[in-house]
Amino acid sequence: MDILASFGNGLLVVLQPNNLMYCFIGVFLGTFIGVLPGIGSMAAIAMILPITFYLEPTSALVMIAGVYYGAEYGGSTSSILMNVPGTPAASITAIDGYPLAKKGRAGVALFSTATASFGGGMIGMIVIAVLSPSLAKLALSFGPADYFAVILLGLIAASAVSNGGALKGIAMVVAGLMLGTIGIDLTTGDLRFTMGIPELRDGVHIVIVAMGLFGVTELIASIRASSGGKSTQTIDYNDFYPSREEWRSLIGPILRGGSIGSFIGALPGTGQTIAAAIAYAVEKRVSPLRDKFGTGVVPGVAVPEAANNSATQTAFIPTLTLGVPGSPPMAIVIGALMIYGITPGPRLLVEQPDMFWGLVASFLVGNIMLLILNVPLIGMWVRLLKIPYKYMYPTIIVLICMGVYSLNNNVFDIWLTLVIGAVGYVMRLFRFEPAPLLLGFVLGPMMEEQLRRTMLLSRGDPMVFLERPISATLLALTAGIIVFALYSTGRNRRNARAVEEKTQQEGTPS
Amino acid sequence: MKLDRRTILAVGLAAAATLAAPTAMAEPGSWSSEPVRIVVTFPPGGTSDLVARLLAKHLDADYGQKAVVDNRPGAAGTVAADYVSQQSPDGTTLILSNNAPFTIAPTRFKSIPYEPIAGFTHVAYIGASAPGLFVQPAHGINTVDDYIASAKKKQPTYGSSGVGSISHILGEAVDAALGVESIHVPYKGSSPAIQDFRAGVLDTFYDMVVQNSQMIEDKEAIAIAIASPERNPQLPNVPTFKEQGYDIVIENWVGLSGPAGMDAGMVNTIHDTVLAVFANPEVQKRLIELGITHTPMSTADYTSFVKKSIDVWAPLIKAAGIAE
Repeated sequence: MDILASFGNGLLVVLQPNNLMYCFIGVFLGTFIGVLPGIGSMAAIAMILPITFYLEPTSALVMIAGVYYGAEYGGSTSSILMNVPGTPAASITAIDGYPLAKKGRAGVALFSTATASFGGGMIGMIVIAVLSPSLAKLALSFGPADYFAVILLGLIAASAVSNGGALKGIAMVVAGLMLGTIGIDLTTGDLRFTMGIPELRDGVHIVIVAMGLFGVTELIASIRASSGGKSTQTIDYNDFYPSREEWRSLIGPILRGGSIGSFIGALPGTGQTIAAAIAYAVEKRVSPLRDKFGTGVVPGVAVPEAANNSATQTAFIPTLTLGVPGSPPMAIVIGALMIYGITPGPRLLVEQPDMFWGLVASFLVGNIMLLILNVPLIGMWVRLLKIPYKYMYPTIIVLICMGVYSLNNNVFDIWLTLVIGAVGYVMRLFRFEPAPLLLGFVLGPMMEEQLRRTMLLSRGDPMVFLERPISATLLALTAGIIVFALYSTGRNRRNARAVEEKTQQEGTPS
Repeated sequence: MKLDRRTILAVGLAAAATLAAPTAMAEPGSWSSEPVRIVVTFPPGGTSDLVARLLAKHLDADYGQKAVVDNRPGAAGTVAADYVSQQSPDGTTLILSNNAPFTIAPTRFKSIPYEPIAGFTHVAYIGASAPGLFVQPAHGINTVDDYIASAKKKQPTYGSSGVGSISHILGEAVDAALGVESIHVPYKGSSPAIQDFRAGVLDTFYDMVVQNSQMIEDKEAIAIAIASPERNPQLPNVPTFKEQGYDIVIENWVGLSGPAGMDAGMVNTIHDTVLAVFANPEVQKRLIELGITHTPMSTADYTSFVKKSIDVWAPLIKAAGIAE
C-alpha cells in the first residue's frame, strides 16, 4: 500500500503542467532521435544534457528518462521500414520486423512494437516501484567492498552474455578500462596517461566517448553506406491492427520479454541492447512459432521491444538506489544529478521522494504519450525518414559538436570526439563492438575506486571481500555466472553465432 | 611532515589583516556596454557557481551591468585560469578566483600555463567558508582532545572530497598539528564520502561545516571543530580549532579577478560595484546560507592576500604529499 500511495504522489508530481511538458518534450525528442538512423539514446541524452542544467532536477530527470525510452520506441520504426536500426537495441527488432514490412505488413509490425514497448515499459515500471525501496534499504549499509562486488557482477554478466565474439568483446572491455584510467588517479593524485595535455587531467568525459563512438562513428558509417533517406515501404493503414490470432500471440512474448528485460536492465552496466538480444534468443527457443523466427513473425518484433523498453526503465534501479549506472547512458544521468548536488544512492529515495516517485510515475505518463505518438501519429515519423541524408547528417554533426562543446566550453573536446569517432569507425570496419568498450569505460574506474577504497579501509586485508555477507554473496554469484558462461558457450555456440551474424548483417546499413 | 603552527595561523591572519583599507572611491555602476562573462572554474551547481550567478543577477538588476556565467571546469581550475589570463583586459572577461587555481595549483603542479599573480588583475575579495572535522556520534568524541585520545588508541580513517582538495589538505594539517596519524580515504566530492560515513564505513570526514548543518542538527555527525578564525554565526555551537588550542585556520575563499593589465579606473569601478552588490542585505543572507562569510577588502589587499596565500598553503600542500 505504501508503494501505491507513493506512486500516487509521484503521479501528482508528474502531472504538474511543467513536468508534463518536459516529459512530452523528452519522449518526443527521444522518438525523433530514435527514428533517425545511426544515433541512439546515448547521443540523444548527451545532446540534451546542457539544456537540463536550466531545469528543476525532477523535470530534468523526467525529460532525460523520456528521451531514453522514447528512443527505443523510435528506433524500431527505421529498423522495420528500412532495415536500418535507429538504435543499437532495435537491430534485433529488424530481424523479424523488416521481413514483415517486405510482406506488406509494416503497419502490423509497427503496431506490435508500440504495443510491446508499452507492455514492457509497464512491467519495468512495476519492477522499479516494487524493488527499489527494499534495495535502497539494503544498500544503506553497503560498504565499498559491496559496491565493488556489485560492479564486478555487472561487468562480468554483461561480458558473459553479450552476443559478440567473446575475444573481441573482452578486448573492447579492456580497451574501455584503459581509456578510463586517463586522468588524475583518485587515490594518489598522480596523473595517468595525460601526455602533458591539461584537458586530460580530469579524464575523458563519458559524453565525449559516447558521442564519438555512437554518434560520429555511426554517421560516418551511414554516410558511406547509404545514398538514401528514402523509405521503400509504404504503410497500408487498413492493415494496421493485428489479427485476433496475432493479438493473442503477442501476450506471451510481451510478458517474457518484459520480465527478461527487467532483470537484465537492473544489472549494473547492462543495457537494453543485451536485454533485447537475450530475450530474442530465449523466445526463439520457447515460442510455438520458433521455426518461423527471422522470416517475419509478430512475436519476433514484440519480444525485443518489450525487453529493451523494460530494460531502459529498470536501468534506473541501480542508478538511483546504488549510484551505480544501470547502463552507459545512466552514467550521464548520475553526472547530471551530481550537478544539482544530488548524489544518487540509497538515501535518494528518502531525501528526494518526489523526484524518485515522479520519475516512476512519469514512466506511465510517458509510455502513454509514446503509444499515441507511435500508433496514430506514426505517419509523421515515417515522413521524417524521407529527409535526404545530405541535410540530416550535417545537422546531426553540428548538434554533436555543440553538445560536446557545451560540456566544458572547450574546443579540445570537439577534436577529441572526432578522433574517437574516427577510431570507432576503424574498429567498426574490423567488427569490434563499441558497446563493451563503453561498459568498461563506465564501470572500470568505479570498480577501481571501490577496490582501492576497500583495501585502504581494511588496511590492506583482501579477506574483507569474503567476510562481508553482501559482497561474499555477490562474488559467489559472479563466479557462478563465469562457470555457467564457460559451460554454455560450448553448447550454444552455434545458436549464438547464428543470432550474431543475423544481427550484424541487419545492423550494418547497406 | 612537521608543520609550523605559525604558518597555519598565518592564513587566518592574512584574512584578518585585510579589513577595508581605503582606496579611491568609484561610483558603483556598469563598466562595459557589452555583457561581462564571469568564468567559473567548476561545473554548474556548486557553491562557486551559485556565488557567480548571484553576482551576475545583481550586477544586471541593480547596476545595469549585463553579466553571464561561463563554466569552464577542468584540471583543478587551471583550464579556466589559463583561458582568462589570455583574454583582453577590457573588463568583459572575469574569473571567480578561488584556492584551486590560485593557491593550490601553483604548488601542486610542476608547471601551470599562467602566472597566478602577474598574469591577473585581482580585483575584489568576496568571502570565505570553512571546513571542519566531523566524527561518528556513537564514538563518544566531542572535542579535539577526545579525538586525539581516541586516535592514539585506534588509527582513524577520514574521508575527503579528493586528493588535493581543501578537505584533504585540512586533514593532513590537522594530523600534523595534533600528532595523529589517520588513514586518508579520498572520494570524488564530499557527497559519496558522507554516504560512506553514514553507512559507518568511515570514522571521520572533513567537509565545509555550514553545508552539513542538517546532519549536525539530526545528530548524524558531530562537528568537533571548524577551521575558521572565529565561530560561524550560523552554527554558534561548533567550536573552532583555535579556541581548543590548535592554531589551524584553513578557509576556502572566493574573489573576482581579471586578466593582467586592466585599466585602474575600471578596476575601481568593478571593485566598488561588486562590494556594493555584496553589501545588499538580501545578497548577504544568501551568502550566509551558502556558508560564506563576506569581508570587504581593497584591490591592493586582495592581490597581496592571493600572493601570501600561495606561500602559506605551499608547506601544507607539500606536507600532504600531493605536490608533483
